[in-house]
Amino acid sequence: MNSPTRTVRSLAMGAVTLLLTVGIATAHHSTAMFDMQHTVKVTGTVTQFDWTNPHTFIWMDVMNNGATEHWSVEGMSPNYLSRNGWSRHTLKTGDKIDMEVHLLKDGRKGGFCSTVTLADGKTLRNLPGPRT
Amino acid sequence: MRSMMAVALLGAIVTTTSALAADGTAGKAKLPGTTWQSIAQLPDWSGVWELDWRAGAGRGGAGMPKLTPESQAKLDKYRVDQKEGKNAQTNTANCDPPGMPQIMTQPYPVEFLFTPGKVTVAIEAYSQMRRIYVDGRPHADDPDPTYQGDSIGHWEGDTLVVDTVGFIDDSLIMPGIGHSDQMHIQERIRRVSPDVLEIQRTISDPKVLTEPWKVTLTYKRHTDWTLKEYICAQNNRDSADSEGRADMNLKR
Repeated sequence: MNSPTRTVRSLAMGAVTLLLTVGIATAHHSTAMFDMQHTVKVTGTVTQFDWTNPHTFIWMDVMNNGATEHWSVEGMSPNYLSRNGWSRHTLKTGDKIDMEVHLLKDGRKGGFCSTVTLADGKTLRNLPGPRT
Repeated sequence: MRSMMAVALLGAIVTTTSALAADGTAGKAKLPGTTWQSIAQLPDWSGVWELDWRAGAGRGGAGMPKLTPESQAKLDKYRVDQKEGKNAQTNTANCDPPGMPQIMTQPYPVEFLFTPGKVTVAIEAYSQMRRIYVDGRPHADDPDPTYQGDSIGHWEGDTLVVDTVGFIDDSLIMPGIGHSDQMHIQERIRRVSPDVLEIQRTISDPKVLTEPWKVTLTYKRHTDWTLKEYICAQNNRDSADSEGRADMNLKR
């Protein structure tokens, strides 16, 4: 993994995601500090997984051009995630993961987690996805 | 000595109970939901109930309230502020619960508990609780403003009718729209099918709204869920400054 590749979702899918995101995320704080229109793909190694309210946090080391970056990525609450396929055991220190992230607008290494793909190829949504 | 004290205590309890019955509560005991026997006749609202955002219950599908020009100007400013990176959600970002009415439209479930004379709404978000007295009492005289307000209610058949007044200044009708000391919330709550609960909610506030705002909220039942703990202060890394700008704390 070198520089993150920007992934632009289709407009229709993005609109649905944004609607649900706004509804759910405004429960606690707004998503103004994140770029909710786009995600980037990041590959890293988990260094810590906070299974806490009001938000979970995934701390990971990301190699970028030979240098290690320390990333912090916020996620939905344990209350929400535990009803949607996650548990506090989903991630553990040392796990290699691929993540789609809505980046912090201020340029720091972090953001809001959209999806996580585990080493076995299984992808877990963090933010709710489009529903029918 | 100990047994004498027990007898004396029992006597005091009997006396207290008699006094309560004598002051008029005996007549109110016939109101639905005021005795365990009458609670058994009430509809089954067991399980926990999750707001169904897809049923138009969310803020987007519920339509907008009709605002006075002054309130509209405040909402317009809120939206401009959002574009400038101020999220204007300082209170909840700092873990202050939203209060009524927004505590009823959170992405976490609620649970209804029936005990004699009272319906308690246990709310997962922010670990909150509403108490709705159904024993025939009037509103508190000049209630202290609170997050959930002062709620009284009564049963009309299978419908719980709730009337709430007395809210803290900080609670919002919806994001960007505050309320005055005249906000008044009425709810008609009933189970419309085995797994669907409906709240017909009317918010009145003549200083903020030009007409009462009516919304129907729909909740779906989850019999296999339980309410979970939600302590916002546990690990809040997104607190906001005085202008509502949240700043994600990345320090370990």
